[in-house]
Amino acid sequence: MISKIKTALLVGLTTAGFLAQPALAANYPHKTVKLVTHSSPGGGTDVFLRELIKHLTPITGVTYVVENVRGGAGAKAIAYLAGSPADGSVFYGTTPSYINTSLLSKPDKTYEDLDPVVNLFQDPQIVFVRADSPYKSLKDVVEDAKKRPNQVRVGVSTPGSLDRQVMEQLKAETGTEVTIITHDGGGDVMLSVLNGTSTVGIGEIGELRGQLDAKKIRLITTYTDERLPQFADVPTAKEQGINLVVRKFRGLAGPKGLPRDIVAAWEDAAQKVLQDPKFKAVYEKDALIPSYLNQEQYGKFLAGFAQEQKAFFTKYGITAE
Amino acid sequence: MEGLYYGWQAVTSMPVLLAAIGGVTWGILGGALPGISPSIAMALLLPFTYNLPPLVAVVLLASVYVGAEYGGSIPAILIRTPGTNSAAATVIDGYEMHRQGRGGEALGLSLVGGTIGGLFGLILLSTLTGPLASLALVFTPPAYFALGILGISIIGSLSEGALLKGLIAGVLGLMIATVGTDPISGVSRFTFGNPDLLEGIHFILVMLGIFAVAELMAQAGEERWTEGTKPKTGTTRLRLPSLATLWRLRRAQGIGCVLGAIEGAIPGGGGSVAAFLSYNEARRWSKEPEKFGKGSEEGVIAPETANNVVSATAIVPTLSFGIPGSNSTAILLGGFLIHGLQPGPLLFTTNPEIVYGLFGGLFTANILMFLIGAVILTPCIWLVSRPKPYLMAAIFGLVVSGVYAIDHSLFDLTIVLVAGVVGFIMRKFGFPTLPLILGLVLGYMIESNYRRALLITNGDHIVFLQDGVSLGLLACAALIVGLSAMREIRRMRNPIKLEEAPAH
Repeated sequence: MISKIKTALLVGLTTAGFLAQPALAANYPHKTVKLVTHSSPGGGTDVFLRELIKHLTPITGVTYVVENVRGGAGAKAIAYLAGSPADGSVFYGTTPSYINTSLLSKPDKTYEDLDPVVNLFQDPQIVFVRADSPYKSLKDVVEDAKKRPNQVRVGVSTPGSLDRQVMEQLKAETGTEVTIITHDGGGDVMLSVLNGTSTVGIGEIGELRGQLDAKKIRLITTYTDERLPQFADVPTAKEQGINLVVRKFRGLAGPKGLPRDIVAAWEDAAQKVLQDPKFKAVYEKDALIPSYLNQEQYGKFLAGFAQEQKAFFTKYGITAE
Repeated sequence: MEGLYYGWQAVTSMPVLLAAIGGVTWGILGGALPGISPSIAMALLLPFTYNLPPLVAVVLLASVYVGAEYGGSIPAILIRTPGTNSAAATVIDGYEMHRQGRGGEALGLSLVGGTIGGLFGLILLSTLTGPLASLALVFTPPAYFALGILGISIIGSLSEGALLKGLIAGVLGLMIATVGTDPISGVSRFTFGNPDLLEGIHFILVMLGIFAVAELMAQAGEERWTEGTKPKTGTTRLRLPSLATLWRLRRAQGIGCVLGAIEGAIPGGGGSVAAFLSYNEARRWSKEPEKFGKGSEEGVIAPETANNVVSATAIVPTLSFGIPGSNSTAILLGGFLIHGLQPGPLLFTTNPEIVYGLFGGLFTANILMFLIGAVILTPCIWLVSRPKPYLMAAIFGLVVSGVYAIDHSLFDLTIVLVAGVVGFIMRKFGFPTLPLILGLVLGYMIESNYRRALLITNGDHIVFLQDGVSLGLLACAALIVGLSAMREIRRMRNPIKLEEAPAH
């Protein structure tokens, strides 16, 4: 019954797409391309992909459909992709969790069963406090934590998130004892900082936008290589002598054995969409850092990332290897 | 007033009106189909909203939410299967009324209760968003823990006559809640290496198994079940409660309104907790508590009012913080974000036409819910009075296809079927099943917030008494447990009543 509704929906969307077919349609072998995410409808990656396809359609002349394959922290979506035809009709919206889930829960199909295609963005990871907090930088936090061990409380999104990892690393690097409080998601961290449960929070600009604009919370540090142009007065952790950079990526992967010309079409489209002024306005608002990587570069990046994660999990006794 | 103007504009705008009609209708149907929760009903519509004007899109989604929260009670009353989590409490007395041939009355109560609850919630939403929003800030981990304990404390009264068995069922629910990823450390627990279990066992699946599948099994096991129990006369039509009846039930409704308002404004509180607590309180304050579980009108209207108040007030934290408190409001938030609207304190000043337009649209949706409900309920009653074998095959088909359609997961189906067998066995041995559901629903909230609270104080339990909200809620919980214990002792001294105790 529901699948019928879904089919009807798909058909409806596809027809709508045909009507809006732009003139510069490229010679892509499919009229409709499915982008799969493990995020639920309305979730971070879901909203991101839906925004992306709005700007991608005019460039490629292809209609895109976002499908949510939830469950198993991404394991299901990976398995689904691994079993799909490698003909360019279906892709997966990647985030670090597809590597982490592969490493932590060791499902039958892992990130290694998929081919990376392109990377589009890095999400800046940021450290924030309530507007009335005395902390001005991460250094203040570390110094306070040294004075008062286990009294500084840092809210992070989920136990398996990169924000949790980076705080564990901070503890190890600086030899401080901060209390890390995990939550069920970024929104909860913000509430936790607002009501004083956590003194410091780790998160992403997109989730905090409303409270940032209302000046209820303040950024004190970014875990990026360079300062964010939108927040030029917020120092990076590196500048403060704390060598931590979070590489939270957003890209695409596909089934193994994607033909070269399809990958090339995506490499071309990805570069174009990142240049699109309308899309730029949207992603710059959330301070996403465009970070295009072609297939070869992306593959290398992912391999390196997976290596770092493996080392982290082993070092902290999360997985035995 | 600018707000009223925008609200009125929305109410009188054709596209918004159409969105409200379509949304509520789809919502009631989605909510009524077992397996399709409000969030799934909304998610299925989400793609349609991309090309709509922003206001029409958010009204459409919010109307689905309102309709679905109500629709869930239809199968709860008619086939002992809650269509949504928050209709689980309605099963107790609603289905009992239906069995007594008062299904039309029960549906009327839930429709009117739901409409009044929805309108009450809407008034709160539009006038008190500021103060209600601060309620979310008052709830720190110790308070959430205490809220969970308060929810659990009603197990005693849900397992009348079988306290020990009720506690066992509750503990079983809590145990199932520990499956999956540890909320604090991230280690996977009791997953036996199966990635399907990483995100835990979703309670909607367990609920469908324990209520729907077990009920089908029990009925199929009855002697000469194919002949069925023909409903008595007078049940084939919807019967709306008279004003006198409503006045008589005012206390139960009031309880539903108050508890629904509070639970809705707290992210993560949710409709099911509100409904269960309202049910319990309605019984405690009732003049005829002995009727509860045996077809009490108050037992239907209290939870039904509460869960519709929640569907309005749950929008408060979403609008004012951009924090969705549930899956449904997460999709509503997605609807906002897709249209470039950023919920948060500034939304009221940057896009008042959307905020007040949404309020206007929700008002329309609640009125429509009443009208549409009044039209479709009579055919629903007719539908469930068909010969049992057809009906039950259809229900089983709906449950199975509904569950499979959500995530295309055979694993989910297995959970539903296993839960069905477990529920059937529990019923055979006189174990009440509601405590298990309650334990499962609240287990995660209790565990994760207990541990978070202790992280804050480095392990000092005094935090639960220092936090005012937590202290108050824990005191209420102690009171409820104390009263149940007293009732139980009285019952043990007077064992005749035990025979009359209904097995849920």
